[in-house]
Amino acid sequence: MSAPLLEARSVSIRFGGLKALSAFSLTISRGDLKGLIGPNGAGKTTAFNVLTGVYEPTEGEVLVGGERVNGKRPFQINRLGVARTFQNIRLFKQLTALDNVRIAVLPETRRWFDAARVQALKRGGAAQRALGAALDATDNYRDWWRAFLRTPGFLREEAQVTARAEELLSVMGLSHRKDELASSLPYGEQRRLEMARALGTRPKVLLLDEPAAGMNTREKADLMVLIRALRDRFDVGILVIEHDMKLVMGICEHLTVLDHGETIASGDPAVVRKDAKVIEAYLGEAPAHVA
Amino acid sequence: MKSFLPVLAALTVLAVLQLVLGSSEYFVYLASLVGVNVVLAVSLNVINGMTGQFSIGHAGFMAVGAYVAGTTSLLLKDDQLSFLPPAMSDQLFLLLALLLGGAAAGAFGFLVGLPSLRLRGDYLAIVTLGFGEIIRVVIQNSDGLSKSLAALPGLAPVGRFVGQFGGALGVSGVPQRSTFFMVWFWVFVLVLLARRLSDSSHGRWLKAIREDEVAAEAMGVDTTSYKVRAFVVSSFFAGIAGGLFAHFVPIINPGSFTFVKSMEVVVMIVAGGLGSTTGAIVAAVFLTLLPEGLRSLFLKLGGGDASLAQKVDQVRMPIYGMLLVVIMLTRSQGLFGTHEAWDLWARRKRAGAKA
Repeated sequence: MSAPLLEARSVSIRFGGLKALSAFSLTISRGDLKGLIGPNGAGKTTAFNVLTGVYEPTEGEVLVGGERVNGKRPFQINRLGVARTFQNIRLFKQLTALDNVRIAVLPETRRWFDAARVQALKRGGAAQRALGAALDATDNYRDWWRAFLRTPGFLREEAQVTARAEELLSVMGLSHRKDELASSLPYGEQRRLEMARALGTRPKVLLLDEPAAGMNTREKADLMVLIRALRDRFDVGILVIEHDMKLVMGICEHLTVLDHGETIASGDPAVVRKDAKVIEAYLGEAPAHVA
Repeated sequence: MKSFLPVLAALTVLAVLQLVLGSSEYFVYLASLVGVNVVLAVSLNVINGMTGQFSIGHAGFMAVGAYVAGTTSLLLKDDQLSFLPPAMSDQLFLLLALLLGGAAAGAFGFLVGLPSLRLRGDYLAIVTLGFGEIIRVVIQNSDGLSKSLAALPGLAPVGRFVGQFGGALGVSGVPQRSTFFMVWFWVFVLVLLARRLSDSSHGRWLKAIREDEVAAEAMGVDTTSYKVRAFVVSSFFAGIAGGLFAHFVPIINPGSFTFVKSMEVVVMIVAGGLGSTTGAIVAAVFLTLLPEGLRSLFLKLGGGDASLAQKVDQVRMPIYGMLLVVIMLTRSQGLFGTHEAWDLWARRKRAGAKA
């Protein structure tokens, strides 16, 4: 079996004296639909932030497609195929729905200089580094000049970007909103727009941070169906954070439960549900603590 | 090919205007001043409006462009391309000087862009402000600098170049080669580029940084690289504006590139609406012509007495301030918000197609 698309190997994160996450392990493979649950402040979002490069692990390592990504910047990890949504919705509010998705879609520009070669140069001696930087800059600014001159190649790429973004909007049922500002969309649509945007980056793994937050039961049920459909349609592995346990039980094939940064249970939802520690964390039935 | 049509049309219009009005000195001077301010405002809008990084040291980049371009022209003043008519050769030399000035300013933009990777909001503003002042003070003391540079091995030519800056007295005798056509050619180029940038993936990435840096990064936007690029492109054009300025004012000295000049540009883009190129243009035209209009008004009020009119320059900043307060109170998004005149046009066309 090939390496999992995304893997955390006993990752720990410490903020000063606080251990926000300890020995967190997880793998996501193609077609997975896994859940990450736990009460408020359990470290779920911290786990997402580590996986996407917002925080660097204090211990352990994160691998994307078998490649160690500790210390890589979020945009680099995104380009390797990991996309996410945010718990508190971070759309580009003053831009249209279409632009929100278009930003995520990378135009397929061919570079003059081979990226791997330039990177190799940048690791060399001073002269080589300078050359590498110059080649890189040449390519970067060439891109801008293509945009300034609107070359046929540039226009073709932009048309592809737009077509792709429109396709994603239509998959998420947002076509009718494409020219509206993201901030003017109703809450549920904003959540869907965030997913469309994440899918725009052509991820292999999709991380959804409380996609159902603030929705009513009916909307939540629809959303769960949609998430499953997305997995099948885009052939991605999905990890969902959700705090409502009942809900994730319904769709996730695997659950990891966090509490105070510790993984207290992990495995099949049916088994996890009956785990004593999980019940304790959720219901607070902890006579030992109370006493 | 279609993308070259507006260029051809604009060049024709500019050439005709040049022929008709190019001989009126007052018009050319005023139009050039307006043009330079439009270039400054539109270019600053790329950093402040599109990318959302608050930079208030634009006069510094302008100064770099003005001094490098001006000194280049001064040194090459007597050179001619013998195979061309003198006027044309002059214009080519001007173009060369402008590009050098722009490139130098772009290089400084890169340097200032680097701290912008770590700083945000007020802190970045303070750094850019400081940068603008450093440039001005260094130029003011260019005599000492040129001696120090000349003493360093290999930097003697740079020292000689800097020696031309003339300290606080400034550079005079720069050939007055700028024309209405040249200034507005750059205005047109920059406005076109700003518009095309804004409507491309690159522009959208800049706007993504403005809207939400964390989300932009999570969506694969290399935010640091893009912030620096915004600074480089923007300061390149500020350098061009400075270069043009150097070629139609009789003397350039550090006094032209103070903090007040930087603030003037900031006022223009804030009043016009941060993020709107149209707003930047309209506000730059209006705020440049305002003191001139006031001057003629005061001249009339004073019954031809020039002393009252001279006071205009002193009341200019308070008037800007009040104007800005009024705009912020009535339209906190600025005159145009983030809208563009050409978007309205496109929307109308789309609506027309639907009906």
